[in-house]
Amino acid sequence: MHFLIDAHNGIAIYDQIARQMKFAVARGVLRSGEMVPSVRELSKQLAVNPNTVARAYRVLQEDGVFSALRGTGLEITSEAKAICQSERESLIRERLESVLHEARQSGLSATAIKQHVNDLLQHLAQSEGDSA
Amino acid sequence: MKPVFALRNVSKKFGRQLADDDLSLEATPGQVIALLGDNGAGKSTSIKILLGLLRADSGDAEVLGMDSRLQSQEIRRRIGYVPDKPALYDWMTVTEIGWFASGFYPHGYLETYAEMVREFKLPETQKIKNLSRGMQAKVSLALAMAHKPELLILDEPTSGLDAVVRREFLESMVDVAAEGRTVLLASHQIHEVERVADTVAIMRQSELLTFDRLEVLKNEVRELVITHDSDETFGFPFPDHEIASRHDGRQSVHLVRDLTPSQMATLENHDRTVHLEQRTPSLEEIFVGYMSGEIRKENEKAPTTEPEISA
Repeated sequence: MHFLIDAHNGIAIYDQIARQMKFAVARGVLRSGEMVPSVRELSKQLAVNPNTVARAYRVLQEDGVFSALRGTGLEITSEAKAICQSERESLIRERLESVLHEARQSGLSATAIKQHVNDLLQHLAQSEGDSA
Repeated sequence: MKPVFALRNVSKKFGRQLADDDLSLEATPGQVIALLGDNGAGKSTSIKILLGLLRADSGDAEVLGMDSRLQSQEIRRRIGYVPDKPALYDWMTVTEIGWFASGFYPHGYLETYAEMVREFKLPETQKIKNLSRGMQAKVSLALAMAHKPELLILDEPTSGLDAVVRREFLESMVDVAAEGRTVLLASHQIHEVERVADTVAIMRQSELLTFDRLEVLKNEVRELVITHDSDETFGFPFPDHEIASRHDGRQSVHLVRDLTPSQMATLENHDRTVHLEQRTPSLEEIFVGYMSGEIRKENEKAPTTEPEISA
């Protein structure tokens, strides 16, 4: 799979790796039963410290996305896709929350925010309809 | 655990110019340590003292349990070292210089060297002097790594080289670390360092300003943007925690370290604080902060011009 690591964007690198792996699983780029590249392989591919990759893998194991396979490595679990999809939703929710927080802080009323959200959703639906 | 290398209270002067001032550093196996600092900060001097190429005026240096002062040759045989300007016998071909170097190292050197030459796509029969600078650097790296040293020291190995070569160097370092071996890297390429290093040492004007795990550094350092009630200069109440600051009208930006929650609350509830925002700075911002922070030595002038902040 393809990764985009940006050491500068304020998100810890291990977290970027874990998130991108989860997105890849959610999208079906990585599928359950498939083997995960070894820490060494991936750290070399990304030119990232091996401990960083190992930490991302630990997180993914704790979250039930990876499981150890008889000492040979890690595989993607059968529940991985469901886990990653719900996690993706909660990540999106978090981002919405921070935007809403910013909107409230700037002095917008709840009604005004709802109006914006509805407009944008309608706009999206229209452009999706156009492209379909 | 025995350190892979250690500098203990090392000082070194060149004439009246101080290069290392009471420097102490230690590495454990598997660490990737980045040594950052501007030119003349003492990075190369520290490395050369470790290798026994320079003698410290005071303090001790050891590598793999050997005294740098007394066992310089053995140290250089056991570790890998890529200097900033490698001096290679440039009339030799890529293969010939491998043969030549293999005479100094245990069995198996030549095979590993040949593997790396293939991996780096170096032209085996070309003379070193006809190679590009990037390729020469790769020859130097292959020579330094072919005996699989427990410690690899790189002194600005890729300054002025293109992105492809720099990437290959990074991958090699990651490989070394993945095997539990140790890397010491002096560099200017901070955003690359941020990917591969787990420990960071920042030097300025012969002084070691910080030596920490990158994770710890990034956890402890914060950038605070404070909006004030007026443009009167804001005296930061916790100067011991402040690495650097800049002021612009009604806003001030402070790079701080280790502020406690109650100190944060004090700032937030300060009479003059209208708004306070905090964010996690990148390693580059931390580095720039340390480099621009107020200089505590008496013969130095504090920076006179404040950089602009975009509000």
